[in-house]
Amino acid sequence: MGEKKDVWQGTLALMVLKTLQALGPLHGYGIARRIEQTSGDLLALNYGTLYPALLKLEQEGFITSEWGVSENNRKAKFYKLTRAGHRQVEKETREWNETTAILARFLKTVEKN
Amino acid sequence: MSTLFNKLRSAALRFANPFRKQKLDYDLSNELESHLQLHIEDNLRSGMSPAEARRDALLKLGGHQQTKEAFRDRASFSVLENLFRDFRFAIRQLRKNLGFTSVAVLTLTLGIGANTAIFSVVYATLVAPLPYPHPEQLVMLWSNFQNSRGSVSVGDYLDWKNQSTSFQDMTALTGGGFNLSISGRPEIFPARIVSPNFFRMQGIPLAQGRDFFQDEDRPGNDHVLIMTNAIWQDRFGSDPHIVGKQLRLNGELYTVVGVLAKGMPDRFESHLFLPLAFKPEDINRTSHQLFIIGRLKPGVSVQQANSELLGIARHLAETFPTSNKGWDASVTPLHNAFTSPNTIKNLWLLLAAVGLLLLIACVNVANLLLTRGSARQKEIALRAAMGASRNRLVSQFFVESLLLALIGGIFGVALGWVALKFVLVVLPQYSVPTEADIRLNLPVLFFSLVVTFLVGILCGCLPAFQGSHWGLMQTLKDASRSVSTSGQKGLRNVLVVFEFAIALTLLTAAGLVIHSSWKLTRLELGFQREHLLTFSLPVREERFSSAEQISLFYRQVLERLRAVPGASSVSVGTGLPVAGTSITRFNVYGQSTGDPSARPATAYTAITPEYFQTLGITMESGRSFTEEDSATGVPVAVVNQMFAKQYLSGLDPFAQRLVVDRPIPGRRTGGPQATLQIVGVSRDTRNGGIRENNIPEVYVPFWQSPWLASNVIVRTDRDISGMATSLAAAIQPLDPDLPLNRLRTMDQIVDESLAGDRFATILFAAFATVALFLAAVGIYGVMSFTITQQTHDIGLRMALGSPRNRVLLHVIRQGMTLSLFGLLLGLVGAYFVGLAMHSVLYEISSVDPAAISGVAAILLITGALACYIPARRASKVDPMVALRYE
Repeated sequence: MGEKKDVWQGTLALMVLKTLQALGPLHGYGIARRIEQTSGDLLALNYGTLYPALLKLEQEGFITSEWGVSENNRKAKFYKLTRAGHRQVEKETREWNETTAILARFLKTVEKN
Repeated sequence: MSTLFNKLRSAALRFANPFRKQKLDYDLSNELESHLQLHIEDNLRSGMSPAEARRDALLKLGGHQQTKEAFRDRASFSVLENLFRDFRFAIRQLRKNLGFTSVAVLTLTLGIGANTAIFSVVYATLVAPLPYPHPEQLVMLWSNFQNSRGSVSVGDYLDWKNQSTSFQDMTALTGGGFNLSISGRPEIFPARIVSPNFFRMQGIPLAQGRDFFQDEDRPGNDHVLIMTNAIWQDRFGSDPHIVGKQLRLNGELYTVVGVLAKGMPDRFESHLFLPLAFKPEDINRTSHQLFIIGRLKPGVSVQQANSELLGIARHLAETFPTSNKGWDASVTPLHNAFTSPNTIKNLWLLLAAVGLLLLIACVNVANLLLTRGSARQKEIALRAAMGASRNRLVSQFFVESLLLALIGGIFGVALGWVALKFVLVVLPQYSVPTEADIRLNLPVLFFSLVVTFLVGILCGCLPAFQGSHWGLMQTLKDASRSVSTSGQKGLRNVLVVFEFAIALTLLTAAGLVIHSSWKLTRLELGFQREHLLTFSLPVREERFSSAEQISLFYRQVLERLRAVPGASSVSVGTGLPVAGTSITRFNVYGQSTGDPSARPATAYTAITPEYFQTLGITMESGRSFTEEDSATGVPVAVVNQMFAKQYLSGLDPFAQRLVVDRPIPGRRTGGPQATLQIVGVSRDTRNGGIRENNIPEVYVPFWQSPWLASNVIVRTDRDISGMATSLAAAIQPLDPDLPLNRLRTMDQIVDESLAGDRFATILFAAFATVALFLAAVGIYGVMSFTITQQTHDIGLRMALGSPRNRVLLHVIRQGMTLSLFGLLLGLVGAYFVGLAMHSVLYEISSVDPAAISGVAAILLITGALACYIPARRASKVDPMVALRYE
């Protein structure tokens, strides 16, 4: 566990949004597992931290929630993207790509010198 | 990351969430429960044992409670929510301890109420700008003679107006009394006689009719009148057709052309305004009768205008040496130009006094909070153990004291409203400018709000500091017995000492003004003030053309008044003791005169022979006047003691003759000269006012120097209140249009002269009484608490045979030690109070042992009484009960 990286502030929201975009409506536990799996189990996600993040996204209007029934017949709260949420994923992805591209270029030049 | 809209949406939801907290909590519990179940099922499928599966799921979640806390933080603004919770808790606490709450609230109410009332007066009088457009441009222009400012002659005014460049405009005003019958009864109304531009220049609006025309300052054009809204409503029944009507003032017809708008002008002393027209004989430089108001050009400072005017005045003094030698001029802001320096100083001193009062109130409440804080030690320790952060504990203390301050503030403003009515009753009329609108307005309320918050923070500081520093371990160790640590007790003692020090300071202020007033009321007046009724007869100039006619008229007046039952002695005089008289210049016959304007000045009063007897003024030597001193007799004079001391020392007064300018009423200089033989020296009569030094005075026989409008003085041998009507009825047949003007008793004249002192005395004494009360409550609170804490010890001592009296003494000694330390510290404050107040006191040195020892004794006795009550309770303790206590 010690080898794993912590999720840093700000990226968790984008991961949640991207997960919901890819998989459609999903409950909190499902989102947590999916993020872990996608990261190739390299991330240590404290599942508890997910819920305040979900609440924040809901307050901002990017996702909505609804009680439903899970695949193995358990009552669970399902989250799904709103229209604003879809737009937000596009926007955030673009911004993130730009940031990493700049950073990558920057790191390359530093290495050359 | 998110747009502004999304942030706002989120903020709105977070604000709203505290109100649907239960639903959110319920939802989260369900969600976390379902999360755990899903995780456990997954774990079971991957082959874990049920116990292992549950443990792993809980671990991965990272703590049930912490998740909930983090979720709650996100759900709403926790700071706000905590504050809200603190407030609810504070309200519960305050309701639970009603005794404590009411004492604290009452204390703060008194403090904030007194501040609100006094600040209302200070703000309206000294802080608020004048209610005119661009008030900073308005200035007074004065003629100064020997560094004392005074009114201006018409000649000088016209030259100032023509030659100066600093002013947009100037306006002149003077005053007069006008006989007017509104409902059949003649009355004298004070009127302002003003240049036609008076209202325009100052920016005073009219409600009806028109302003004066510019050419109405020409004699013949000037019989028009503008009145205030107040007199139009009260005396003319809001007559809608008043404009255009004619009124008979002093027998001449004036046309009403306008009525001023409601508001500030209604507080003016004069409610009638007439245009000021200069007749050719008015245009001279010897009669100083005008007040001049100027409006500065934008950007011109008062100093610039002052130096320009000074230059013009010096030039005039060179050009017209006979009239203007020794005269110069000055410009001062109009704001408070007519408020006496003593009044201004008294107002600031009163504000300082209520500030000290508020400080005492704060110390008291802080002390009460500290005391209660000690009792709540266990509760605080428990909260700290449950994980409450220091910030949360501190904020709880501040919220409590702020809440107390807020309640005190609300009651305080209400009390201030009531107190202000009382202050306005004792505030001497016209001692503050008529422009000042004294009431609880927005700036005053804002001040009270700021004071309230400061009080809340000030009161909360110490308890918060103390509360946050209680060591958890120590508290829990001590928790079995709620004995406060020596540090806390020390802090409370320091507060009591401090409180006594401020109380002594404030009491000294009251002691000084009371001592000063006492001295004033016991002054040797030089006349018998009781049973004297005075009034003036404003006889019009046109009625009599010769001195003989005037004398005849007044002989008839005296004859008729002497016949009124109850009038034991009646006389006529051109001046009155205390109220004042005319001033003229003179020289002792045979002494070199030199420059006529450099001759000495003296008060000058013409009196009928009975005057000294009526007033009860005794002769020092020589004789008073008799009927022999008639118009055809030798011109004679009586001088007062001050005159003899100042001008005739070393001379035989009865061998001297005086060359006096007989004054013309209303003029500063001029008049025909007369040579008078001194025949008597009379006692001094406070002729410059009660508080002032006696001034030299010359009395002359009225029959040798008769004046039209003179005072009548009646000594009665019965109740004075019923006399006015019978006196008026006696004069009526002589002139049905002649009112008894300024009808006052001599007692009233003396009281009016002391109104400013009475105002200061009443208010300082009232605030000092409140301070004394608060100091008593303060030491009582601390001593009661200390004794409750010592009940165990006291019981033990008594069980061991200590007599009750010893216990009583022990407790009182503790309290008195604190009081004494407070008194010693307070002496420093008392010293500075003495220095600050010296100039408003009458013949009291700045360190006044009588006042200080008096108030110190009162404070000590009060302190001892406040200690005695809890001490007695302590000495009555049953040792068995006390030992079982706790």
